[in-house]
Amino acid sequence: MIETLASGQLLFAALAAGATYALVALGLNLVYGTMRLLNVTHGDLVMLGGYAAYWCFTLAGISPLLALPGIALGAAALGSAAYHGLFRRMLGTTAAAARLESNSLLLFFGVSIIIQNVAALAFTATPRGYEYLSEVHRFGNIALTGNRLAALLVAAALLAAILAFLRLHIFGLALRGLIERREGAAVVGVDIDRVQHASFTLGFGSAAVAGALLSMTEQVSPFAGFPYTIAAFVVVIMGGLGSIGGGMIAALLLGLLETYGVALTSSNYRSILLYGVFVLVLLTRPQGLFGRRAIVR
Amino acid sequence: MKPNRDLPALLGILAVLALAALLPLAASEYWIGVGISLAMWIALTQSWAVLSALSGYISLGHVVFYGLGSYVVVATWERLPLAASLPLAACASALFAFVIGLPVLRVRGPYFVILSFGVAELVKYVLIAVEAAQGNASRLILGAPGLETLYALLLGLAALATLLAGAIRMTRLGQGLRAIREDEEAAETLGVPVTRYKLAALVLSAAIPGAVGGVMALRSTYFEPGQVFDPMISFSMIAMVIIGGGDDLRGPVIGAVLLSLISEFLWASAPQLYMIILGALLCAFVLFVPDGLCGRLLRVRTQ
Repeated sequence: MIETLASGQLLFAALAAGATYALVALGLNLVYGTMRLLNVTHGDLVMLGGYAAYWCFTLAGISPLLALPGIALGAAALGSAAYHGLFRRMLGTTAAAARLESNSLLLFFGVSIIIQNVAALAFTATPRGYEYLSEVHRFGNIALTGNRLAALLVAAALLAAILAFLRLHIFGLALRGLIERREGAAVVGVDIDRVQHASFTLGFGSAAVAGALLSMTEQVSPFAGFPYTIAAFVVVIMGGLGSIGGGMIAALLLGLLETYGVALTSSNYRSILLYGVFVLVLLTRPQGLFGRRAIVR
Repeated sequence: MKPNRDLPALLGILAVLALAALLPLAASEYWIGVGISLAMWIALTQSWAVLSALSGYISLGHVVFYGLGSYVVVATWERLPLAASLPLAACASALFAFVIGLPVLRVRGPYFVILSFGVAELVKYVLIAVEAAQGNASRLILGAPGLETLYALLLGLAALATLLAGAIRMTRLGQGLRAIREDEEAAETLGVPVTRYKLAALVLSAAIPGAVGGVMALRSTYFEPGQVFDPMISFSMIAMVIIGGGDDLRGPVIGAVLLSLISEFLWASAPQLYMIILGALLCAFVLFVPDGLCGRLLRVRTQ
């Protein structure tokens, strides 16, 4: 038992889980930060990305890693369409915006039920998985399958690239400005519409990519997305709204907590752990994602 | 004032429920089964509306009270008579609501919605683990009472829930809860005991779902935590009240009847299609008819 805990095996698993959570939470953070919409369908995008990778692999024989750019673009296009078709129109008038914000969560839950059940009708509820890069590599006393290693490396590279982009490009500055103070950002010339649109597409794209990476190691099923929404909420609340770096640290913490928690108890306790952390985090920060902002003021 | 509007509605619903009690004299088992699900949903939605429609704290985890009640009745089955275990189920749910109430009700708006969902899922997975540790993945319930008894019990609970919901709307508590829904800070400033009222509403809205869950556990004759804590039960409650209109005492009944009938036609043949229709109706009403059918039909201009 002690040897398992001390070995690199679990640490690697925790890193892999943390990287996935960070990628999923990144999109939620962007969409919530810029538009103040708690998008509970976020996990369903992860699920859809997983299915896209699964069908590419089983029907067309395209490797999931090669399919990633296509999946990202497809999800980004979906995000763009959702933004232009639904949200911009609704947020256009202030009356509709106020009503939408108060009821947005029920609306998203409705959409989430629709997505999940359409997926269940189209793909059946049977969990689906495929064998890809499943050969075992050994590094010292750590044994890893190629797909886990590839998923971790791709997720880490993407996170680093997005982080660098947000730090170095002026878009990142505009985004942070918009998240911190909407009116102020508009005054100094931030094109709010453009930043929101970009966050939406980036958020949708990264969620689907995370799903495609997950499908290499875990089975996909129509109702598998919701726990990722919950994990993303935990990460965003712990890491701070709009703080991409804080989110990565929080995601790593959640990955460590989950991996070691499950290793110490049993896999039956995974959901208890996830929802337990979620409830605790919300209870200690009853103001939710606004917590950090309220303290700064 | 409000009492004038609620009293006729209350008497009307109670009269309909009293008439419905005659159903077993004329109907087949199938229709008693339909009556059971109708009465169950009316009892659940009326209870849910006490907290969520009146105070605006939308609970997406009300199934937790239903599930706890089921668990209490099943765990004491063949050791306690139903006359004792049903009230015990209601008390257990109310007690749970009381314990979690203070911390949970500090969380507002959309955060309360997802928190209530999280609490329900947490309790579900804890109970699954507890049952698994004891070696009962699922339990069979032998010697459950017949359909007609269960129907009578559920009708009684539906009447009780309606009576409670009507009484709360006509008292100071109901007005205070509505004030909290409109503006919690303003209500507090004007002297509404906000914390006490919210807690009272949560406890009162938890008790009857506990007893309903207990009766429904006997209806399905076997018990599995994943089934009695199914989040879809919470979703259905919300969708029914939003569609019917939560501010009116008749709203939950109308929504429950409408969706139960759709479910009766579709659930067995195409459960996914039913859930898609439920989600679409929920979205459409939230967007275009947020006051529900009753609110739309009898819009009362208030300043």
